[in-house]
Amino acid sequence: MSEMCVDNPLVLMKDIVKVFPDGTIALRGVNFELCKGEIHGLLGENGAGKTTLMKILAGLLKPTRGEVIVKGRKVKFRSPADALRFGIGIVMQGLSLVPVFTAYENIVLGSRGTKPSREFVEKLMKEVGLIVPLDAVVENLSFGVRQKVEILKMLALNVDILILDEPTTNLSPSEIRELFKSLKKLREEGKSIVFITHKIREVLEVTDRVTVLRKGRVMGSVETSKTNPRELAKMMVGRDVELLIEKPPWRPNGVALIVDELEVMGDLGVPAVKGVSFSVNYGEIFGVAGVEGNGQIELAEALAGIRKPLRGRIVMNGDDITKLDVSERYNRGLAYIPEDRKVALIMEFSVLENTPLTEISYNKELVNRMGFMKIKRIVEKSMGIIKQYGVVTPSIYAPARSLSGGNQQKLVVGRELMKDPRVIIAVQPTRGLDVAATEYVRNLLVKMRSSGKAVILISSDLDEILGLSDRFAVMYNGRFMGILEPDKVTDEELGLMMGGYTYEEIKARKV
Amino acid sequence: MVNSRFTEYLVYIGNVALAILIGLALGALIIWLGGYDPVKAYTGLFETSFNPSDYYYFATTLSYATPVIFTGLTFAISSRAGIFNIGAEGQMYMGALGAVIVASMNLPSPLILPMALITGTLMGALWGLIAGLFRALRNVNEVVATIMLNWIAFWIIEYARNYGLGDPRRQEKTISMPVEGRLPLLVKNTELSMAFVIALIVAILVYIFMWRTKIGYYIRVLGAGVKTAKYAGIDPRIITLYVFIIGGALSGLGGALEICGRPPTYAITTAASNIAGFGFTGISVSLLGLNHPILIIPASVIIGGLLAGSRGMQIKAKVPLEMVMAVQGLIIIALSVPGFTFVYRRWRIKKALRGGGSA
Ligand SMILES: Nc1ncnc2c1ncn2[C@@H]1O[C@H](COP(=O)(O)OP(=O)(O)OP(=O)(O)O)[C@@H](O)[C@H]1O
Ligand SMILES: [Mg+2]
Repeated sequence: MSEMCVDNPLVLMKDIVKVFPDGTIALRGVNFELCKGEIHGLLGENGAGKTTLMKILAGLLKPTRGEVIVKGRKVKFRSPADALRFGIGIVMQGLSLVPVFTAYENIVLGSRGTKPSREFVEKLMKEVGLIVPLDAVVENLSFGVRQKVEILKMLALNVDILILDEPTTNLSPSEIRELFKSLKKLREEGKSIVFITHKIREVLEVTDRVTVLRKGRVMGSVETSKTNPRELAKMMVGRDVELLIEKPPWRPNGVALIVDELEVMGDLGVPAVKGVSFSVNYGEIFGVAGVEGNGQIELAEALAGIRKPLRGRIVMNGDDITKLDVSERYNRGLAYIPEDRKVALIMEFSVLENTPLTEISYNKELVNRMGFMKIKRIVEKSMGIIKQYGVVTPSIYAPARSLSGGNQQKLVVGRELMKDPRVIIAVQPTRGLDVAATEYVRNLLVKMRSSGKAVILISSDLDEILGLSDRFAVMYNGRFMGILEPDKVTDEELGLMMGGYTYEEIKARKV
Repeated sequence: MVNSRFTEYLVYIGNVALAILIGLALGALIIWLGGYDPVKAYTGLFETSFNPSDYYYFATTLSYATPVIFTGLTFAISSRAGIFNIGAEGQMYMGALGAVIVASMNLPSPLILPMALITGTLMGALWGLIAGLFRALRNVNEVVATIMLNWIAFWIIEYARNYGLGDPRRQEKTISMPVEGRLPLLVKNTELSMAFVIALIVAILVYIFMWRTKIGYYIRVLGAGVKTAKYAGIDPRIITLYVFIIGGALSGLGGALEICGRPPTYAITTAASNIAGFGFTGISVSLLGLNHPILIIPASVIIGGLLAGSRGMQIKAKVPLEMVMAVQGLIIIALSVPGFTFVYRRWRIKKALRGGGSA
């Protein structure tokens, strides 16, 4: 591999293994090489291990095994400060600036000893072509400018190996273009850059070389000019062994949900769902695949009524529910299993107190006319969930916090299914669960579908989508790239769709 | 689980004891630096608050505990919802004003007391509602809104005392509650009236409300986060309004009870001097009582003792009033530290649990 760099590689990571204390194996023997003056893409799906690998290089994590050689010397970083001494700096996923400080204050914040003067920072900005308003308070700056501030902060620390973890996540297309220009400028200045992303298009646009990770392994390391989207897609996505889920044949039985041209605002003030249309039948699991952060959560929240859509229509069971509030939708048979268990459960509350959370707002059986909760009814319900769904807990009076992740999830799933809903929205329902719990939850969803309910399964786990869905869509940047059936699509097509190519484009051989 | 909870509370009680000692020590230092005798001062303090040989003093302690139970409950309810309502002060002023207005109206005697309490409660609720509307509809920070409303309430009662509701014979106070509108004393020749019993009952009712009713449940769900509340099908704005209205009503009732049940004046005195500070002290009471309606009761007795004992310090050790206030404030702050850290730690854990970090 080392013949790939003209000179000796600037960074060489050999056979890196990382096992987290909880037993998660994030890296399974990874080799990585960074040459001087290149932009190196690190591509992979959610959970592939990109962040972990680069955290090791930046001194934020220690490898379980393997060695790191920087500028010809074998190193064992104990802290980010150690890595900085070797000129390595990382800009983390999710920005880390102090919002109430000015850009200048943020840039010089991390410096040791004498803080860099304004003149120095201004000169630096000119040199590398990253211009930001130094006196503006960061919280008033757009995400694109903030990203530049982060980079300047690193440069002010004399970093020449710059790691950017998904820097384009919150940026608009024009900001991305700006950022790429800056990166190329930095390359001309002799800096080396690691660019983490899961967007194939971006890799092709800005990098010189790309290393693809999948599930803790390197699937390949190639020169960008010598590869194409299809090859990268195939490296990124690979179907694992088939799931052990028994699925009776698909018997769609009437339309449960129609979503028409739905547009939903995201938290950043730009639309996160940009006109999505689909329908789901009773007796069907409809999957929504895609890399996280492409509007899936916003879509789910709009369906549940938590987020008001900007435009479009949602029809459930023949009725337009677009304007109804959350509890009325629940009342009409919608159940929502959100991605974040800390939203679905109140950790300080007992299992018992968590039981009526999504039902008390509409179910008159749980509250008497004076507004008092009917504790006896709720206790019965709580016991019922625990028994029927095998939630392991010392008692219903134990705080939810004391349950294991898998049992917390069973509690959430059990609670929602106990309401006997007609339409179920499940987001990442098996995230963080062990094999047995995963299988259990998946089987439940299949059972719901086979008993005639409509299930919308949103997941970034492709195996889950392919194994469970009857039909599924791939979501990218707020849009559906296509709606397909799992066994009629190739890995390559999947990877391309997840990377932002529509099914039509792919079929038309435009890629 | 039960066990770790139990030890958690034991540690907490230890911390409170430690805080009391530290507060007393710091206070002693101030007294000593001021050239007075700390031993004498503290003897005076305890003799006039928790003196076992003269129940008069303990009665006084309880009479001081009464208003801070109400303001403590106001703060506790809002904290449970994740809201920082520090407007109990102004809400209590408005409640007291409501009672004084009723006192000025020459109502038939059996109506005076109930009308005074109802009017006070409603005016407190109204004052809370204003802050609530700011927060719920315009997302104005509740701390800013309530502090401003505290000052507005202060100037309203000062204005009322000077123009219209002042005692024609005694410039320094408002009209007093007529005898028919006063609550019976629990112990003769003390300042302790039925108001204390009402406070106990209300604390218990608040407990039941928070843990047994749907609205109380919603309030606690909101405290777990807006996201969870929305997921549960709750409109956070409406629950926020409930929190402010109920909190305001409680402090308003507390204020009205000060007028109907607090000898000797049964009125508001100059610059609200006889009710000023209870709202803020209520924050300490609530923190010391871990924002729990029932634990607020013992907390209020401890802090009520400090308030009551200030006279003793002044009289027995000749410590000037200003210094007494400083020492008192110091101890009260020291006392809220363990509660604050306890609540804060829980909140941090909660937050950490929710945070998760990036993937
Ligand atoms: N501190 C941790 N403890 C346990 N497991 C962890 C920890 N950090 C990461 N993991 C796990 O390690 C694996 C790799 O995670 P990593 O964050 O490196 O992925 P990634 O490629 O950066 O994904 P993404 O695109 O979602 O950011 C995942 O399965 C993740 O759940
Ligand atoms: Mg990552």
